Amino acid sequence: MKKVAIIAQTKEGQLSETSIQLLSFISSFSPESILLLAVGEVKFSAVPSSKSVEVITLSEGLWADSPSIEPLSKILDGFTVFGIKSIQVDNLLSLLAASSSQEMISGVQQLTYTAGKFTISKSIFSGKASLTVTSESASYFSLNRNFDFSGNAAYGDQSISSVSALSVASGSNASILALKPITGSIPLPDAALVVGAGRGLKDPSNWTIVEDLAKALGAATACSKPVSDLNWRPHHEHVGQTGVKISPNLYIACGISGAIQHLAGVNGSRIIVVINTDAEAPFFKHADYGIIGDVNDILPRLTKKLQSH
Amino acid sequence: MKILVCISCVPDTTSKIAIDPSTSQISSQGLTFIVGPYDDYALSRAIELKESNGAEVIVLHVGGSESEALIRKCLALGADSAVRVDGNPTTSAQIANAIVSYVKQNPMDLILMGKESIDYNSGIVHGLVAGALGYTHFNPVMHLDVAGDGLKLEVEMDGGKMEVSCPLPAVLGCQEPIAEWKIPSMRGIMTARTKEILVLPLESTGQFQIVKAEIAETARKNKMIKAEDAEQLIDLLRTETNVL
Repeated sequence: MKKVAIIAQTKEGQLSETSIQLLSFISSFSPESILLLAVGEVKFSAVPSSKSVEVITLSEGLWADSPSIEPLSKILDGFTVFGIKSIQVDNLLSLLAASSSQEMISGVQQLTYTAGKFTISKSIFSGKASLTVTSESASYFSLNRNFDFSGNAAYGDQSISSVSALSVASGSNASILALKPITGSIPLPDAALVVGAGRGLKDPSNWTIVEDLAKALGAATACSKPVSDLNWRPHHEHVGQTGVKISPNLYIACGISGAIQHLAGVNGSRIIVVINTDAEAPFFKHADYGIIGDVNDILPRLTKKLQSH
Repeated sequence: MKILVCISCVPDTTSKIAIDPSTSQISSQGLTFIVGPYDDYALSRAIELKESNGAEVIVLHVGGSESEALIRKCLALGADSAVRVDGNPTTSAQIANAIVSYVKQNPMDLILMGKESIDYNSGIVHGLVAGALGYTHFNPVMHLDVAGDGLKLEVEMDGGKMEVSCPLPAVLGCQEPIAEWKIPSMRGIMTARTKEILVLPLESTGQFQIVKAEIAETARKNKMIKAEDAEQLIDLLRTETNVL
């Protein structure tokens, strides 16, 4: 493989776990060179990789138009670029791909590279089906968050050859008026454990039992569309076809019947638990574990059990 | 203001997806098609802007003649005219290129579409269009208001939201709650019959080859736990599946 660039996220100056996995995965293709485009602070001096890595840090700001992406676009000429799917990564990669007339494939679930050819399996219809495509020329890829890196080889630490910073050079024509980060809770798309609740909770004041369970688990909270439409819960918690799509290790659905639009947002979960009073709720067919019962009774008991040991 | 709204025509969200064994592709047999739900939000907001600020709204779809009934529905909702780029695109790049060639001939102030199509879920057509045209790009946009010569937007980002001032021309991927879905009025349906749908040819581009589609089956355990033994769940999650 030719030169490869990876969009990497850092957390408190260290590479995120998924970024390390992506780097190891890409190392296995023995690229000519590796460039890490780091989003966030860089405090590390070595990374597990097949060869020495160059690092460029990307400044905060809007990468939303030609003036802002042009310097980065120039650097990436001739590179194959990989990132893990997120709003920011897909937006940036699609702008870069089109501005340099390169092809991009997003939502990559599996990827192999042999004899100059990529074979890619991409998840479609919100995970209900997959599509296999081959390409010799696509050079921008965004991998799904639940991409399976378990076959990765282990690489020893390689020191970083150089670190430089790239700012939004001449700047974007757009400007930020206000930032409203979600504070005090675990961001839903990244959460490994999620507790979701629906209209079965009957009233927004009953959400304390959901929050208590989420807290005991260290989980993020989610909700169904009717609940966010009723303004019982904020819009960013809405999981489903038209909301956030999640792929946690564990999803506990409380008082959610399991309409197909909701399932479309949670299909990617590794283990699904369904708790509902209605034995006929369609969600039970898609559950690993089901409990027919009242959430007001069950959830506090689960919380208590978790707190006890 | 000239607004182009790009729509996808996709199987209804409740559709059961099947594979046609002769082609190894998704079978369109027995599927009901709808305008992509996110695209519907984009169109609704464009029509609201037309009503409040005055705008010309053009709907564009890349696809076959079977989509004309859905395009008429968009005209009935209040779009002024429509363009159908005739063909059967298989990649985001083909769709983006079709939009870009049209806009190069017919410059727009604002291009709106859904944040993603609910069939192939790529979610990159808006970014590809913006990148190729050099327009400003935001996605997914939750609120859109005209402010001076530009727009004021509320945009979702990883881990929060931001308010931005966005100059025109711009390409925006839209999602709820940018507008309420609309229902065509009888008058809208009548006038839509005489509105123009311009048909243009699709230039063939795109380099990747589609090999096959497959249905993804996630095997679930379907294990039921009695309500009185609910606490067992925690043990099973710890020992049987190791998720805790």
